Amino acid sequence: MGLFQHKQQSDQKSPIVEVFENEKNFFDESFREEIRAHAREYFDSVIKENVVLFKKDLDEAVVAISDELKTHTLEALDGSIAKVNTELKEHTIKQLDEKFAAYGKEMKDAQDATLNNLNKSAETLENQYQDLTTMIQKSIANQGVMINGVFEENMSRMTAMKDEQASAIQTIKDSAVSLQTQAAQLGETLKKNIEDQENVVLTAFQDNMAQIVEHYLLGALGDQFDLKAQLPLIIKQMEANKDAIIGDMKL
Amino acid sequence: MTDVAIKTHENFVLPASLVTHLDVAHLVEEVERVDAEMISTAIRGGEGAKPVVPVLSEPLTDFLAQNQFTLEDGKMRETLIKELRLLKDNVPVLHMTFAVTADPESLQQLALYVRESIDPHAVISVGLQPSLVAGVYLRTPNHVHDLSLRAMLKNSRGKLVEELGALRASR
Repeated sequence: MGLFQHKQQSDQKSPIVEVFENEKNFFDESFREEIRAHAREYFDSVIKENVVLFKKDLDEAVVAISDELKTHTLEALDGSIAKVNTELKEHTIKQLDEKFAAYGKEMKDAQDATLNNLNKSAETLENQYQDLTTMIQKSIANQGVMINGVFEENMSRMTAMKDEQASAIQTIKDSAVSLQTQAAQLGETLKKNIEDQENVVLTAFQDNMAQIVEHYLLGALGDQFDLKAQLPLIIKQMEANKDAIIGDMKL
Repeated sequence: MTDVAIKTHENFVLPASLVTHLDVAHLVEEVERVDAEMISTAIRGGEGAKPVVPVLSEPLTDFLAQNQFTLEDGKMRETLIKELRLLKDNVPVLHMTFAVTADPESLQQLALYVRESIDPHAVISVGLQPSLVAGVYLRTPNHVHDLSLRAMLKNSRGKLVEELGALRASR
């Protein structure tokens, strides 16, 4: 429709203008939009392909750089370690040699000093041994004298103890006789006490029995008499105590 | 009337119906009440009104009769009240504790006996103690006299013990 929209008018214009106008009519707005969309899709696909390729190149480059860096670092580290080991070994050997020399000298000095001390101690010990021997001999002599004294003293004590034992045995015999006498006396006293207790108990029983009889009488007679019945008894009792009552009332 | 004028609490005659100290107190109260009543009656009746003695209790009637008192005279009533108060304060009291409840007749007999034999103005104060069994526990102002059966039995306990001892010995 767009292609033949101005057909009658083109018949009247020049061919260039007509071509130009045809071209203008051919590239109308919708066609342009289609072309733009197509171009946009194409551009996107190109960019995506380039991105994939670029990413692939970049990954390969990173892997290659990483390998090279690793190799380089390992080589440098091996070299440094070998160098440090060599230096450390030399330094340690030197230090050890120096220390061994110093220790050897000190050991020799200490051995000499110890030897001197041992010699002196041996001399002192020998002197002390001599002194101790002398003291022990003196002590043994003293102990002998002392033991003789103690033995004599113990002998005299044994004699005294024998005498005391004899005296104690005599006392025990006397005590046994005395105890027999006391036991006999105690038996008699006990017998007498038992009889006394029996009498006391019997007396108490009689007293209690009297109280029981009395209580029974009081209970039995309690409510049997009114005041009228008791009046003669009361007046009789008052008559018997009349003088005392009058005396009390006049005080 | 001349005899009445010289009567004092010291020579009053107490009737048998006046037994206890409480009776004497009631007697004083009754005379005071009668006096007040008669005074008020005389005031209400005016001058010339004849005094009217109200109805009296038996103890007061007996007391007035035995002591020859009359209550018509105001001055005599006044003297009587005064003397009765003195009597109440000075009357000798015998405290008598019995084993049973005391009946009025027996108390009157006892009061008569006490006034005849011991003191003509004595009154009785009554108490109750069942453990006495019988008899009387008498308390004067200064002494006590246990005249009860319980005391008699207690005093005779030795005799009872002797009897029991003899009985045991015979067995």
